[in-house]
Amino acid sequence: MTDSLPHRPLSMLRAVVVAALIGVAFFLPQLFGGSSVAYSTLTTIALFAVMCYGVDVVLSYLGEVSLGHTVFWAIGGYVAALMSVHLGVNGWVTALATIGLSVAAATFLGLVTLRTREFVFSLVTYAAAVVTHEIAFNWDAVGGSDGTVGIPALKLPLGFFTYVGGTQEELWPIAFALLLLTLFFVARFRRSRLGTTALMVHMNPALATSLGVDQRRVRLAVFVISAPITALAGWLYAYQRAYVGPDMFEAYFLVMMLTAVVLVGRRILLGPLLGTAVLIIQQNLLSLGGDWNKVILGFVLAAVLIFWPAGLMGLVDHMRQRWLRKTRTNGRENKRSYMEEVQ
Amino acid sequence: MNLSQQIVNGLVLGSGYACIALGWTILLGVARLVNFAHGQLYMLSAFVTWYAMTRAGAPYWAAIVIAIVVLSLLGALMQLAMTRLVIEQNLTSLMIVTLGLGYVIQGGGALIFGGNPQTLSSVLARTKVDAGALWFTWQDVLVLAMTFVLYAAVWLFVNRTRFGSVIRAVAEDPRLAQLFGINAKLVYLGVFVFECAAVALAAALVAPRAPILTSMGFNEVIMTFVVVVLGGIGSIGGALLAGLGLGMFIAFFGAFVAPAYTTAAAFGMLLLLLVVRPVGLATK
Repeated sequence: MTDSLPHRPLSMLRAVVVAALIGVAFFLPQLFGGSSVAYSTLTTIALFAVMCYGVDVVLSYLGEVSLGHTVFWAIGGYVAALMSVHLGVNGWVTALATIGLSVAAATFLGLVTLRTREFVFSLVTYAAAVVTHEIAFNWDAVGGSDGTVGIPALKLPLGFFTYVGGTQEELWPIAFALLLLTLFFVARFRRSRLGTTALMVHMNPALATSLGVDQRRVRLAVFVISAPITALAGWLYAYQRAYVGPDMFEAYFLVMMLTAVVLVGRRILLGPLLGTAVLIIQQNLLSLGGDWNKVILGFVLAAVLIFWPAGLMGLVDHMRQRWLRKTRTNGRENKRSYMEEVQ
Repeated sequence: MNLSQQIVNGLVLGSGYACIALGWTILLGVARLVNFAHGQLYMLSAFVTWYAMTRAGAPYWAAIVIAIVVLSLLGALMQLAMTRLVIEQNLTSLMIVTLGLGYVIQGGGALIFGGNPQTLSSVLARTKVDAGALWFTWQDVLVLAMTFVLYAAVWLFVNRTRFGSVIRAVAEDPRLAQLFGINAKLVYLGVFVFECAAVALAAALVAPRAPILTSMGFNEVIMTFVVVVLGGIGSIGGALLAGLGLGMFIAFFGAFVAPAYTTAAAFGMLLLLLVVRPVGLATK
């Protein structure tokens, strides 16, 4: 575990490889034929992956199951929708408001749940989602049960010109940039003092206490920084769909976030991204219909934790070790037969 | 909208909450396990009862028995799949696994029973009790009576029998209990099967009040969580009191403040309580 989190400076070679991979990833839609489906699927993957990273930070480094991240997801969507429809402001303003509001909401929720652990924490965060859903559903000022339609195209003024994200093709670079930003942020977090302390609080609370770590502060800080990640994904989702409604609170998003994180394995930087990719590809391109997709998604989530708690990466590790052991014993057997022949 | 009618409504709602919360309270309080599929199990029980009555023509009481048997079998399967996590007391994984299984049940329910709302009609739900201006049905009386009987029976079983102390010993320390020759896996299996049977019975009793939908799941039983936490996680008497109290609160809030925001109000109260008293009301 510790060897994945060292203060290793990025060597030149690594930097070049990473830059090359990012470059290739950016042209993935063209590599897959450049069709509108390719663009929309990859944009959705990037977007949903960002959504999942918010939960990943809490689940992987605090070991807590937040069922309230749909609140932050919805905050992003609603802020983008309401501000751009009613106030006509550009994407930077709605993004800043999204960050501000989600941090405020997470601080409130974090303070309320400060003394709760495990299932009570999960329940209270879920309760927060139910309450917010009820308010969003009944309050006509935020669209009520109909939601808000006709969200204008995402406009990002960049000084000399304004980038407009109207189509899936135009939204892809934004989703891609947001994903990169998130990955960079999470990678930094993993190496940061907060990230390592959070992991210590999760893995060895007694040690953390003996070192004078204020556990509540660490938990609160991690929860608060996780919120804007998921919220910004919701922000972009609103522009992609041009509609925002109470369906952003649906259990689907919650189950999706958790499944994407545990599928590949917790505490793996690219885990949630790969998990999201697998799940979205199944749902968009190999869909068996909504109800079957639910069965599959739920089953994957349960089966991974029951059979391979360390996720697919854990399975790969397991296989590799078995293979190594096998080749080693094979080698020994060969040697023995050789010895027997000699004798 | 008189006061006594609201008290009756509160009792009706509250006994329903307490009834649905019973399985959860036992699972959590006695065995320290969580089950986030509770809502979907409730949905499934309601639909199994409905199916047995409308499609197979079974009488109400037989449909209840069928639902209990089906849910007990399903519960046994779920618990067998989760045995390793349960013995390890890996609550985080258990929460996520049950959430996932709940999603499977929801999708599977929609595949089997279709997406249309149905009504689970029992004769009792259609017969109104003649008590002056007050409005309630014989089904409500049945739910209230059954809730008290069930809570009393469970309390006696857990606190006054040898089996009850065995279960509590396993909850306290499964490994130590095994040293004393107790089969912890079997005890967990029994408790989980009981949870599923209890939710089946509760669903068959409470579900006739409102139309049932395969998507109702989690939100339909969300109040049970408030009941369990308010009652002081796992306290049997606490859950009964919390259920009835919550029913009263919801009835009065819905009648005099805002019917659309009752859930929000209940959870607002819960959040407030958690700040003041994170362990719940019943514990000292």
